[in-house]
Amino acid sequence: MIAEEPRLDPVRVTELAQSLESELARLIVGQKALVRDTVIALVAAGHTLLEGVPGLGKTVLVRSIGQALDLKFARIQFTPDLMPADIVGTNVIREDKGRREFQYQAGPLFANLVLADEVNRATPKTQSALLEAMQERTVTVGTETRALPAPFFVLATQNPIELEGTYPLPEAQLDRFFFKSIVPFPTEIELLEIARRTTGNTTPQLKAVAGADALLAAQKVAREVPIAEHVLVYAGKLISATHPDRTELDSVRRYVRFGASPRGLQTLVLAGKVRALLEGRYNVAYDDIAAVAHPALRHRVFLQFEAEADDVTADQLIDEIVEKTAKAKVAG
Amino acid sequence: MSSLEAVVRELRLSAARASALRYLLHALLASAAWILAIVIVARFVPLDQVLKIAAAGVPLAFAGVAAAWVAARPRPMRLMRTADLTLGLKERLSTAWERRSEHGPMDGELRRDALEKAARAQLQAAFPVGIRRGEVLLTAAVAIAALGLVLLPNPMDQVLAQRRADHAAQAKAATTIAATEKKLAAPSPAPVDPQVQKILQDTRARIAAATDPRSALQNITPAEQQLLQLSDPQTPARASAAQNLANSLSATGSGHAAAQAINASPAQGAQAMRSLASQLQNLSPSDRAELAKALAAAAQQSQDPQMAASLQQASAALSKADLNAAALALGGVASQLDALQQQESNDQEIAAALNGLEAARQQLASQADRDAAQAGATASGSPRPGAGGAGSGNSNSSGNGSGSGNGSGNGNGNGGSGGTGGRGTSGSGAGQGTGAQSTERVYVPAGPVSGQSETDPAPLGPGQDVPLTPYTQVIQSYQQTALEAADQSLIPGSERDLVRAYFSSLGESGTGS
Repeated sequence: MIAEEPRLDPVRVTELAQSLESELARLIVGQKALVRDTVIALVAAGHTLLEGVPGLGKTVLVRSIGQALDLKFARIQFTPDLMPADIVGTNVIREDKGRREFQYQAGPLFANLVLADEVNRATPKTQSALLEAMQERTVTVGTETRALPAPFFVLATQNPIELEGTYPLPEAQLDRFFFKSIVPFPTEIELLEIARRTTGNTTPQLKAVAGADALLAAQKVAREVPIAEHVLVYAGKLISATHPDRTELDSVRRYVRFGASPRGLQTLVLAGKVRALLEGRYNVAYDDIAAVAHPALRHRVFLQFEAEADDVTADQLIDEIVEKTAKAKVAG
Repeated sequence: MSSLEAVVRELRLSAARASALRYLLHALLASAAWILAIVIVARFVPLDQVLKIAAAGVPLAFAGVAAAWVAARPRPMRLMRTADLTLGLKERLSTAWERRSEHGPMDGELRRDALEKAARAQLQAAFPVGIRRGEVLLTAAVAIAALGLVLLPNPMDQVLAQRRADHAAQAKAATTIAATEKKLAAPSPAPVDPQVQKILQDTRARIAAATDPRSALQNITPAEQQLLQLSDPQTPARASAAQNLANSLSATGSGHAAAQAINASPAQGAQAMRSLASQLQNLSPSDRAELAKALAAAAQQSQDPQMAASLQQASAALSKADLNAAALALGGVASQLDALQQQESNDQEIAAALNGLEAARQQLASQADRDAAQAGATASGSPRPGAGGAGSGNSNSSGNGSGSGNGSGNGNGNGGSGGTGGRGTSGSGAGQGTGAQSTERVYVPAGPVSGQSETDPAPLGPGQDVPLTPYTQVIQSYQQTALEAADQSLIPGSERDLVRAYFSSLGESGTGS
């Protein structure tokens, strides 16, 4: 348990993150990059979209985080008939001493850690109900706006959109997600380990390594990590390189419809700061920016149909952008 | 590591050490390239002191590269960033340097962390000493090429040698003319004609400024003509009349001494004539009659009208025993002898000047001949394909010559030869004339036809029983023979120039075709 202090020592933030990763590793087999990205998003106060086929442990991961962080956890199973009121809450008529009045009944969003499971199975109307909560961290029902508890994280999972019965998330909502992490299929060794851990009589029980206050303090410390001007310029170049009208890459001009938004740059820098802190450094390096480029940008680069036809993914384009923009590190 | 400034100092030293070797190689490459460029240029353009020019560029190249080295010194931020990248310091140094004066929540830890990592790292390794292999090979190749070209014979050396010889010949000719000027300026009884001096000075200046001996030669003939125009054409007639007077007086008793004086010099003759005029009253009537007869004979033979008139008046006065009139007429003869003396002195100066010009002409002509022979050898040594040009020229000349000595004459010349001396008993004449426009055609052979080389004998035409010899094989021997003949014969220098110019124009036509 991390002690609560007015200003957390940066070293303690590193220890918090490492403790969280270690605790999660007790239950989650492999998926180190996924866990690292999720931790970075948590320390950066960002929401995460986890994408993967069913059965890869997405829900387990989010539930485990809720256990390891001693946060109020809520799970919303998104279905096609889920309505916005089902998640943000609604006013119900209540009778008290012969008087009837509307009383707000909070929805499952009023938690620190919300698991939006299979978010792309809900209709766009319901998906959009998350927009205000994710961006403003408030919920408006009727004429009243209510603040969500802090910290507030949405960890959404989704199945690949090509599966039946799914609704693609609108671009505006995708942009609200700090990271989009791809949940890879486990290796053969990891599969065996999963079988060993989950088919016995005992299941590992996670203990909480930090609370809400520690997490909020860590978020504040993460924003204090300095970033040099040339590293910031490098991040800006990466964002510019995703735009077809600004890039020098033919592939981007050919396959990309829209590049990353300024929110993408904010994500790169903030995630870079957290990663630097997690690496025990007090400054952002080029490597930090490059390392978080995929989860930060893959859902912010919108591809043309031609990319789908040629089987080109956003990750491939990001790889090329990072590789080509790397030359600017020396030249600058 | 005590401070970020210390890190910068160490990195700067490391960077300077690494870049010094690279820039040294740049300097070597620049020097070699400069030398190679100069050597190549010297093969197309005659350059004096090629090696000096090439050597002068080496320090300049080193200085330029050194200046570039100093100007290209990396700034501290660049040093830090390079060290971050090469040493894997994850932008610690550059971020810490950028925020060295900041006091944010993490700046202290950042600087401490950066210095700690810098102390563990080998900062010298941030700028490894290394040179590009390609540049080394390029430098070596350029240096070898330059050395090879320096050692190989340069065709322009011959041109330079010729140019130096030309300058030497022109300088020698100018010196010769200067010596003539000095000789004429030496104290002499008669004052030097300033026009003669000016002509010599101008000619000397033109020869010195001429581009080649052939051009210099073209200044001599006009100068000679100017000098000849300064001489009095009546001098030979007057000298002949004086000689006739001396011959006539030598047969008389009273005029014998005067005859000897006239033979000695016109000035002495004038004095003797004045003495004779003053002694007329002492002569016997028979002597006066004898003297009158001799004067009449001399008057009759004289080709100078003034002299003839004075002699005739003296003779007539003596015959009439009018001694005063006779003395007056003999005084007039004496005055004309004085004038003859002055004219002869002037002619001697002109002759000396002409001799000086002729000597200069010989010096320039020999060098021009060598140049022409060299050009001919070059032209014949490199046959050029193409149609040959054909030249034609016309020249006509007429000249008038005047001789001095015992006799007088006029000569007419044509076809490029000067006038011949006048007829006289023992006189010699010097002719002058402008070059005649030749009417002969210049044969310049055409280039070899396709499938036939220039050295192959041409096919025989109808009626021909000998094969034709190519022009380039015979022109040199023709030129040599003609110039030798011109040198050995007694033809004026201006006409020899004409022969020389003729062959030079042939050489130019052959080269240009």
